[in-house]
Amino acid sequence: MDPVAGLLHGFSVALQPQNLFWAFVGTFMGTAIGVLPGIGPALTIALLLPVTVYIEPTAAFIMFAGIFYGAMYGGSTTSILLNTPGESGSMMTALEGNKMARNGRGAAALCTAAIGSFVAGTIGTLCLTFLAPPIAELAFVFKPQDYFALMLLAFLSVSVVMGTSKVRGFISLFLGLSLGVVGIDKLTGLQRLTFGVPDLMDGVEMTVVLVSLFAVGETLYVASRFGLHKPNLNPLAGGIWMTREDWKRSWKPWLRGTFFGFPIGALPAGGAEIPTFLSYTVERKLTKHPEEFGHGAIEGVAGPEAANNAAAAGVLVPLLTLGLPTSATAAILLAAFQNYGLQPGPMLFINSGDLVWGLIASLYVGNLMLLILNLPLAGLWVRLLFIPRPYLYAGILIFSLVGIWGVSNSWVDLAMMFGVGLLGYVMRVYDFPIAPVLIGLILGPMAEVQLRRALAIGQGNWSVLVSTPLSAVLMAVAALIVIVPAALHWHRTRRIDPLEP
Amino acid sequence: MTERPTERPWWLAAGTVGWGAIVLAKAAELPQFDQHAGIGPGFLPSAIGLGLVVLGLILAWQIHRGVPFEEQGAEDVNDGHVVSYRALGLAAAASALPMLTMKPLGFVLTCTGCFVLVAAAFKSRRWALNAVIGFAFSLLCWWLFRKLGVQLGGLLPIAGV
Repeated sequence: MDPVAGLLHGFSVALQPQNLFWAFVGTFMGTAIGVLPGIGPALTIALLLPVTVYIEPTAAFIMFAGIFYGAMYGGSTTSILLNTPGESGSMMTALEGNKMARNGRGAAALCTAAIGSFVAGTIGTLCLTFLAPPIAELAFVFKPQDYFALMLLAFLSVSVVMGTSKVRGFISLFLGLSLGVVGIDKLTGLQRLTFGVPDLMDGVEMTVVLVSLFAVGETLYVASRFGLHKPNLNPLAGGIWMTREDWKRSWKPWLRGTFFGFPIGALPAGGAEIPTFLSYTVERKLTKHPEEFGHGAIEGVAGPEAANNAAAAGVLVPLLTLGLPTSATAAILLAAFQNYGLQPGPMLFINSGDLVWGLIASLYVGNLMLLILNLPLAGLWVRLLFIPRPYLYAGILIFSLVGIWGVSNSWVDLAMMFGVGLLGYVMRVYDFPIAPVLIGLILGPMAEVQLRRALAIGQGNWSVLVSTPLSAVLMAVAALIVIVPAALHWHRTRRIDPLEP
Repeated sequence: MTERPTERPWWLAAGTVGWGAIVLAKAAELPQFDQHAGIGPGFLPSAIGLGLVVLGLILAWQIHRGVPFEEQGAEDVNDGHVVSYRALGLAAAASALPMLTMKPLGFVLTCTGCFVLVAAAFKSRRWALNAVIGFAFSLLCWWLFRKLGVQLGGLLPIAGV
């Protein structure tokens, strides 16, 4: 199906009244839960996953599209008003946004973030519409070794890019990989790492790990470091709308942010950190008001926020066309697909065209709905930030239990919630990045399947892994990602070392 | 976000190596190679276990060199906070409670207990009020998610309800 026909068909699905209703519910719930402190987009989707299990797949994914953008917007609201970015992608937004809020210009910051998200989301979705089908076509000629090289690249880049320490990034990844091999081996039927526990034969449930790492880990972490302080807010002082000057200063950063965000987000080694950082740096260089940077410059909110949302749309390209998740949010979306027995990848466009195009069309609808919903409701979302913290976190734990106990009513899942929750606490205290665990858990078994397929084709000869041009190039890039930073680091420390006692 | 350059958390490295060793030991029980596919079901677990052991050793070396561990920032965390182990213990108890009570007492009572414990961890002293709010909220969640089709078990399994 060509993109235009596909999209038109998608709109005919997405604009059906009941699907519009689900998009609205998704956007509303996504924003409402995403706005709560400690809950980022990935966790929002994970917590709402059980709700969608009994809805028909197309409607469920339309709802996810709403949740996805809603949660992203909710996250930027807390970044701006509380200076508390829930995800690495909104760190740059918080930098200038919170300064604006403290100067009483919180509403303008929220506004430029919302419109910037809308612009970036719309352009990003447009790019997705026209890029995804050709990439999916291309993916048909991918051989197992190409897939394996691509996944290896994703593993390495996620571990190297996220967090401050590469060693800790890799430990996170390997923890995820080790959880991923638990269960019955699909090729031989042998049990792996099940320790004789029947409940582990089906493997470790993604939702359980994600909810425990994020929600339980966060609850433990915040509880142990909680001071009785009130959030310092004066959200709607200084007018509720952007001034003419604000518009003039915002529109170029929106476009530039989108320009950085989408392509980098669409790369298998992408993510939202690099484009938001690039956008911030560029806006700082180009602005006519350099003196305002660091004290609440609107360009510093508009650009990174657009970059963040465009990157989020970009992440959907490898997810939908190759089945390759490159962020925690994408990993949980992939898990949701698998819950419905769907495997993202080139076949999805052929076998479930309704669903994919419905989802893409819903991204447009969700984006527009977000704008309509959030400009007038900003005041309401702000009030959600005032829920007393004891009740907020207690409520988060109960939602987590719905997610974990609802999966399979298994005691082992509850034990895992405790164990993985403690792990999440330790990872926060000692600064281990969390996303690589999830990427390893979900992508590890897929990479293993491709590796074994490739080796079976090559009759056990390992050189088959670099036998196609694409796999050779990807392997080389993967090697560079590890070697170059390590070599630079070694070079630096070697020069500094003699000065140390 | 406090820097603690002098802290040397050796147990982190030990834990990584330990888990790696367990994975290695369990993987060793499986066939590593396979005639048809080249590698067997034990190959990847072995590689992962080995990777964890090596990474754990590198971490130990870093800790030996005094690498700083900086806490991650989070919403609702003050800069310059003190760590309250009492609160951590209460919150940990809340996340351990379901293991003990979920099967016999069911979702609603378990969640009420968790609610009260987490609220206490966040320095709320109104136990009775928290229990009432927790019970009402848990009951609402149980009812609502059951309506949506999520299986959360009976109201009080021990009594057969």
